[in-house]
Amino acid sequence: MMVNPFDIEAKPSKLTWAMLSWVLFALGIGLYFQESIKRHRENPEDRVVPTLAQLAQGIHNAFLNPAEEDDDTSIEQMNSWQRIRRSMIWKDTAASGQRFLISLLLLVPAVLLGLHIGLFPYVGALFTRFVLFFDKIIALSVLPILFIAFGIDELSKIMLMVIGVAPTIILDTCDLAKGVPREQIVKGFTLGAGSGAVAYRIVLKQIMPRVLNAIRLNLKPLMLFLFAGEMIASTDGLAYRIALLRRHMGMDVIIPYVLWVALLLFLIDWALRLLNQVWHPWFKET
Amino acid sequence: MSAPQPIFSDHIASANGQTPLTHVSATDVSLSFGNRILFDRISFSIDKGEFVCVLGETGCGKSTLLRLILGEEQPTTGGLVVSGKKIRGVNRNCGYVPQKYSLFPDRTVLSNLVFGPESAALSVLSRFSSKSRERRREIRQEAFSWLARIGLQAADANKYPHQLSGGMQQRVAIAQALMMKPSILLMDEAFSALDPNTRGGMQALIHNLWLQTATTIVFVTHNTHEAACLASRLFVLAKKNSEASTIVLDESVPFSRDRFADRRLRSEVLELIHRIESYSRGAFSDAE
Repeated sequence: MMVNPFDIEAKPSKLTWAMLSWVLFALGIGLYFQESIKRHRENPEDRVVPTLAQLAQGIHNAFLNPAEEDDDTSIEQMNSWQRIRRSMIWKDTAASGQRFLISLLLLVPAVLLGLHIGLFPYVGALFTRFVLFFDKIIALSVLPILFIAFGIDELSKIMLMVIGVAPTIILDTCDLAKGVPREQIVKGFTLGAGSGAVAYRIVLKQIMPRVLNAIRLNLKPLMLFLFAGEMIASTDGLAYRIALLRRHMGMDVIIPYVLWVALLLFLIDWALRLLNQVWHPWFKET
Repeated sequence: MSAPQPIFSDHIASANGQTPLTHVSATDVSLSFGNRILFDRISFSIDKGEFVCVLGETGCGKSTLLRLILGEEQPTTGGLVVSGKKIRGVNRNCGYVPQKYSLFPDRTVLSNLVFGPESAALSVLSRFSSKSRERRREIRQEAFSWLARIGLQAADANKYPHQLSGGMQQRVAIAQALMMKPSILLMDEAFSALDPNTRGGMQALIHNLWLQTATTIVFVTHNTHEAACLASRLFVLAKKNSEASTIVLDESVPFSRDRFADRRLRSEVLELIHRIESYSRGAFSDAE
């Protein structure tokens, strides 16, 4: 039977769907190793497209050896778990993860501000124009100002992430709060709820799954700002390591790092989806 | 067989233990949005315990009239008094059952039912005291008794609104509103999304609840059959001589409650439906 890939009404089987979904991965991996073999045949010292063995060695170094700057000689006597805990990737992940989590926590006030802007007319009048203006500022353009104002320590990097993502979250939450049907708010009032109860017990509860989705969709921008901050001024972190290894053409470690960051983001995204389903079983759009 | 007796005056009097009292009073109320005048100096009053159905063509302002009574809209001019008070903002003594979004989707049936009484009776700080726990238990018991009253099972208490049929959702919404013992229940096309069978059941339910609770009900509908079946009084809105809408028919319905089952009334009911339809189409000049 002929398959028309441009038929909207087509119904591929589960097996076909699963197989098709892996085709581009397989193709990408195949092309990579073909290129790697070709380059290494021409130049056995090539560092741009590492071989499988080089990648495996890079992963081993990243996961089981400490960073060069740590110079930890006692690691040889440790077991695997202890070695992982002292490893380069663990240290970098912990440093980046801490910044990432602090930024995520700082988005909570952003959500609350968005809720208040969307519901309370006076708060809306005070903040809407300002947040809209702030949203148009390219966060990376204020990076020098942040470094001057807050120094090159943690605060400037966290502020960069918050400034980059918070206006979007505020405006998203505001729109979501405004989108709650008026009937629900009126119903709340007629059921004896005050403005606070309507805001927190009716509107916030109803928009929470969508707010979590908005945060989920902003994980990548958040990570982007984290990487920008770390690449410019940091002594640890995933992006710092990638920037450092770039100078030494350390593609055997950079590629595993890039995949590790993608895996972390995928896991956080998956965890948020799962939490959304568990916390909001009534919500069907996740 | 004796002629059917109007029962409403008795019902209203018994509900209050005295002569009927005015519940809603509108005097020369006008409402405009920008240049568009929706109501131009309309006046009406609704007595306690009445079941008023508001009819009219689409866009004539039925729901807006309801929102005026609810306090969602403020009259541009004129006075509107509900339960002896001029309303500013949403009137928290009203029960409200809209056509859509009538339940909180994030709450179970039980949580929807207890939301109002718990909000009214329990403050956030006192929520964990033993007295509050006792009150909360009472509210839950009352919610379960309402569930039985509206024909739902105890097992339905833990379902979310999306797990219920449209008719069940509206039953819960009515119970949710009546649990607050509102002085007036406002229903905005509350049954219009239901299929005819469910709708018939809902009409019987709201009628029985009205008889039991003697709550004043203002019921917006575009279904003349439904209005003739339920109302103790009818308002028909239409545009008269201008763009503004007005109440072109304000009529008490003098039939017994069993008006559809009673074959003797069929011709009178049909005549009433015909009259409502004439008025709502704007053919009131001919009817007059």
